[in-house]
Amino acid sequence: MARIELIRVHEYLWEIPKTGAMNVPGRIYADRESIESLLGERAGKEWDALLQVRNVACLPGIERASLAMADIHPGYGFPIGGVGAFDPETGVVAIAGVGFDINCGVRTMIVDVRREEIERRKVELADALFRRIPAGIGSTGSLTLATREIDELLVRGARYALDRGYGLPGDLEYVEEGGCVDGADPSCVSALAKDRQMKQVGTLGSGNHYLEVQCVDAVYDAEAAAAFGIAEGSIAVSIHTGSRALGHQIGTDYQSVLRRASEKYRISVPEEDLAAAPIASPEGKRYIAAVKAGINCAFANRQALSGLIRNVFRDVLAVPLAGMRTLYEVGHNNLKLERHAVGGVERELLVHRKGATRAFAAGRPEIPERYRGVGQPVLVGGTMGTCSFILVGTERGMEETFGSSIHGAGRRKSRKQALRDYRGDGVIAELDRGGIVVRAHSRAGLAEEAPGAYKDVERVVAVMEGAGVSRRVARLRPLVCVKG
Amino acid sequence: MEPRGHETIDHTADMGIRGWGATPAEAFEEAAAAMLGLVAERSALGTSSSVRIQRRARDLTGLLLEFLNALIAEADVRALVFAEVAVDALSERSFGWEIEATAKGVSMAEARAALLIEVKAATCCGASVRRENGERWIARCVVDL
Repeated sequence: MARIELIRVHEYLWEIPKTGAMNVPGRIYADRESIESLLGERAGKEWDALLQVRNVACLPGIERASLAMADIHPGYGFPIGGVGAFDPETGVVAIAGVGFDINCGVRTMIVDVRREEIERRKVELADALFRRIPAGIGSTGSLTLATREIDELLVRGARYALDRGYGLPGDLEYVEEGGCVDGADPSCVSALAKDRQMKQVGTLGSGNHYLEVQCVDAVYDAEAAAAFGIAEGSIAVSIHTGSRALGHQIGTDYQSVLRRASEKYRISVPEEDLAAAPIASPEGKRYIAAVKAGINCAFANRQALSGLIRNVFRDVLAVPLAGMRTLYEVGHNNLKLERHAVGGVERELLVHRKGATRAFAAGRPEIPERYRGVGQPVLVGGTMGTCSFILVGTERGMEETFGSSIHGAGRRKSRKQALRDYRGDGVIAELDRGGIVVRAHSRAGLAEEAPGAYKDVERVVAVMEGAGVSRRVARLRPLVCVKG
Repeated sequence: MEPRGHETIDHTADMGIRGWGATPAEAFEEAAAAMLGLVAERSALGTSSSVRIQRRARDLTGLLLEFLNALIAEADVRALVFAEVAVDALSERSFGWEIEATAKGVSMAEARAALLIEVKAATCCGASVRRENGERWIARCVVDL
């Protein structure tokens, strides 16, 4: 097991000093207990999040530090919770820094309905959402597309789904990038990826993807909450999903391309997991153009789902379509060209976020005008039995983490361990006792996603707030949960 | 240890898979069995539908990833769930390596009750195909769940 030196920078930040092949230090946001847990997990495990932080620090062109947010746990190549920003001229693009579920993310909508009404009808609502929102392995959506239409969707993102009748025009202002990134090139996406996606637009997927009806049960920052239009008792619906099969296939297709590119350009990667291509190389450019198509696919997917969910709320609770307002939508498996100050100089950098959320501070032009005075909402999915959070980005986050924060609680137990420790039916019964109605397509999937399999999201959020990287705005308690 | 077999390996977010056998072909079959076992209760599935798979790669590790990812993609496109895979040929060629295999399973609709977890991709994390102590072949990688 490779030795890893860790230095305590402050109560919530630890550093792996730059040594050997590292181009920058590694920095991990964590409290002492989490760090000890990460160190303890290294023994006897094949995959090690701290080593992954160090390995990412060895990639060419990385700036400032290889970062890990407080929900850090082992991924493939990059740790989950990992952030790496690269110089466009000298840096690389790495599949492991994006993952196979490109632009997986969360949309949160605020519903104009009273909590009492939800409580009274939540079983009926859960059943309707379970029946009408396509989810689970092999599920197909109502929007079946031809190749030409898929190409249009990959270029136009959420706007394509909007034009097909899903969601409302006002949604897009509150979606990261307005629901569409420039530079997506469908010709860089294989026919197989498009074939796989034709029937999957408007599907939730499975695994850790979910749809939750939630209630704001605590407000920590009244000014930001007012700007976001939420208060204690507000009802929210959050969707967690991504680019579905198209994203998976883009990752698969370019995995072999970037493995070859690593050799061709003699990129010194500490592990093969970190297969990478120079950003400026033909391989790197094509991969980035394909990822952008994947990003737009995820935007379209969540837009389509938002339309389907509005229909369910209209039919079950008589909520008008305009009675569900998009608070925000933001991805957490992404690759983005952004402007950041490094060493006092503002530069364009390619930021990889693998299980980390963009968390921009007040004043950034990328933030919707309504929120620009307080900062960007950061949507943090907790567990179906505990809570989720809405945070807000800070200036310190801009300075330290390229405007990034956590994306969730972070897994504590492996999936195998969770399957040993929990049963799907037991999870349903336990949540039912807590007043949470759960509907799931897979009992095994439910056991893997049991609340006990995850870290305590309150502590994870507290680390980021203690470090000053993001600030709590509100806490959301689940009332209804639909799992894929 | 059995002369051929497979297992899953603990990984916090995803899952490691490992197959072993007397030849690379057996190791590939077993690695595929480990992955397919994550997707569904294989013993509960029939084998009424079959699909031929052919893939090439420069090295054996690349071929393993191509092979496993082909199984994922073919199942998705054809709305099938595979129960078993037989490697018909695995051979070294001038360009590298080539595999031909037959996957058998049933339609997604028929498999519904046996489904477990979606596998998104076979990743190059921890991926290798090697011969251990001059004896059995081991094929392994992490799959993204």
